[in-house]
Amino acid sequence: MIETETFLVERPDSMKATPMIGATPPMIGATPDLFTLGRSALLRVQQLHDGRGVFARSRQLLNTGAWKGPRDAADSFVEDEDLLALGGISAAQQVGVRTLVVTLDKLDLALPCEGLRLLCRFPYRHDDDAKRRDARIHSLATFMKSGLALDGLIPTPAGEPQGIDTLMLFARLRTDLQIPHVIADFTRLGHRLAQMALGFGADELHGPIQPERALRLGSNTWNPVMTRKEAAMLLRGAGLRPHERLSGGALEEVTS
Amino acid sequence: MTTFAAVREKVQAGEALSQNDGVVLFAHPNLMELGALANDVRQRLHGDRTYFNRNFHINATNVCVATCLFCSFSRLKEGDKGAYTMKLDEAWGRLQQRVDAGEPITEIHIVNGLHDGLPFDYYTDLLRGLKRIKPDIHLKAFTAVELFFFHKHYGMSVESILRQLQEAGLDSLPGGGAEIFHPRVRRKLCDDKCNADEWLDVHRTAHRLGLRSNCTMLYGHIETPEERVDHMLRLRALQTETGGFQTFIPLAFHPDNNAMMKLPGPTGVEDLRTYAVARLMLHNIPHLKAYWIMLGVKTAQTALWFGANDLDGTVQEERIYHMAGADTPQTLTPDEIVRLIVNAGRTPVERDTLYNVIAEGDALTSTKPFRRSIRKSLEVVP
Repeated sequence: MIETETFLVERPDSMKATPMIGATPPMIGATPDLFTLGRSALLRVQQLHDGRGVFARSRQLLNTGAWKGPRDAADSFVEDEDLLALGGISAAQQVGVRTLVVTLDKLDLALPCEGLRLLCRFPYRHDDDAKRRDARIHSLATFMKSGLALDGLIPTPAGEPQGIDTLMLFARLRTDLQIPHVIADFTRLGHRLAQMALGFGADELHGPIQPERALRLGSNTWNPVMTRKEAAMLLRGAGLRPHERLSGGALEEVTS
Repeated sequence: MTTFAAVREKVQAGEALSQNDGVVLFAHPNLMELGALANDVRQRLHGDRTYFNRNFHINATNVCVATCLFCSFSRLKEGDKGAYTMKLDEAWGRLQQRVDAGEPITEIHIVNGLHDGLPFDYYTDLLRGLKRIKPDIHLKAFTAVELFFFHKHYGMSVESILRQLQEAGLDSLPGGGAEIFHPRVRRKLCDDKCNADEWLDVHRTAHRLGLRSNCTMLYGHIETPEERVDHMLRLRALQTETGGFQTFIPLAFHPDNNAMMKLPGPTGVEDLRTYAVARLMLHNIPHLKAYWIMLGVKTAQTALWFGANDLDGTVQEERIYHMAGADTPQTLTPDEIVRLIVNAGRTPVERDTLYNVIAEGDALTSTKPFRRSIRKSLEVVP
């Protein structure tokens, strides 16, 4: 059952305007252990979101102009790699796109994205050089200082991610950067690791969420689609209170 | 009422935890606290050492008279679609080709269906043939469920069966078939194979004959936390009695292609929680194995910080869980396993089946140009 009384505004306007490096000293370059970093990340999620974990039924605008995902999706997004073929940001906005997902090296693209929710993919490999990864985090922090209203980061593995490395990265992004949302893309991480990331600083699930899911048979065995119920279960299992993002950005608590 | 803090005190004092303590641990909302406590115990027992071995699996037949609801591997009789029984030459050939290739395999893990049409000689000949090809290979073969089936089917005592298999080359027992001991669960899932007491008694007999064994628990289906704890306590009690268990292996239920495919299966957090609780409850079973075939490589690596100290082995061609939808690779090379362990900030130790050290630390890593040098920090140090 959905608790309809508790609509929450997703994040305060003050946070939209001034994203910046966190007040606590950044841990870039430091080497805390998994649990120390994880606890700090969890604490930050508690402070920012009061234990709320979010998912949304979303659909993606592809470079062909076609939509992928449910018609009645609450959110609609486009990846930067598809923007050019679609005619740019304003063209995408005109057909109903509400969220722009850019990769870190294309953040420039996002500067004229007034009115869109802006998410950034943070690329990583399990064998990344530490200095280069630090530099990437620093460059992101610098970008955010310049006033870019980045609403969320999606750590995105190149190749097969490793467990510990991924969780450490989620926790670092949460603790090093004062960013509203750190998002677990379950199509890239898998359901298990995505849920674990929710315990290490992530507060949102990203990926195809549909009303029903076919049984895991034949070619559907590896389909990453999850249902609304599964998303809520994963969030709840990770110790967060599941909320669904509705159209307009309001959050509704999922109580069943 | 027991609290997490009270349980933590007991753990720190080295006291055995009770049924109620275990339930409190499963209900504790803070996974990080639970993991840190399990990690403390792991560190106390093993430090950073994390074991693996070079093994492969033989599943000689999937014909099985049992009808366990969670099984995707078995076929009821010969001739059913997908049913197979290896000829002995074929099974021996699996080892021969690896010997010919110069692979330094130390263990074969053999688990089969309960085939009611094979003579007992099939199994003794299987072991003898493998030993003939490689006399020093360790044969970890036949679950307690299979051995109890042999006892019923061939009309011999469990002890007699074990002695004959030992004489043919059996070195230790795998831990499969335990599922969940509680009768409520067993009645629903697998009421036509041995019950908890019979499973435990087979292992008791094996331990008395000098065989070491492993033990398992299939979790994440219809069982309750209380039933998981009950399962662990029964294993712990036998371990107190015999000391014959080497490793506890929590096995994550896979819901695909079986009669329970509507169940969701355990989540990643549930996996880590179960590993952590197992490490805390089973203080007298030395090793906790993150079986990457079932957990997935990423979760298995993470479990190394939630109590686990063993990643199993190279495996090569696993059938039972892949038919149940495991999306893991069929094999990991030793280099890949070492890299996973090192990248988790642990020290790799190659072992044999009985946990004798074959190679450790630098001896395993120095030959490879690792791009990372990580110890406890888990972070990248250039």
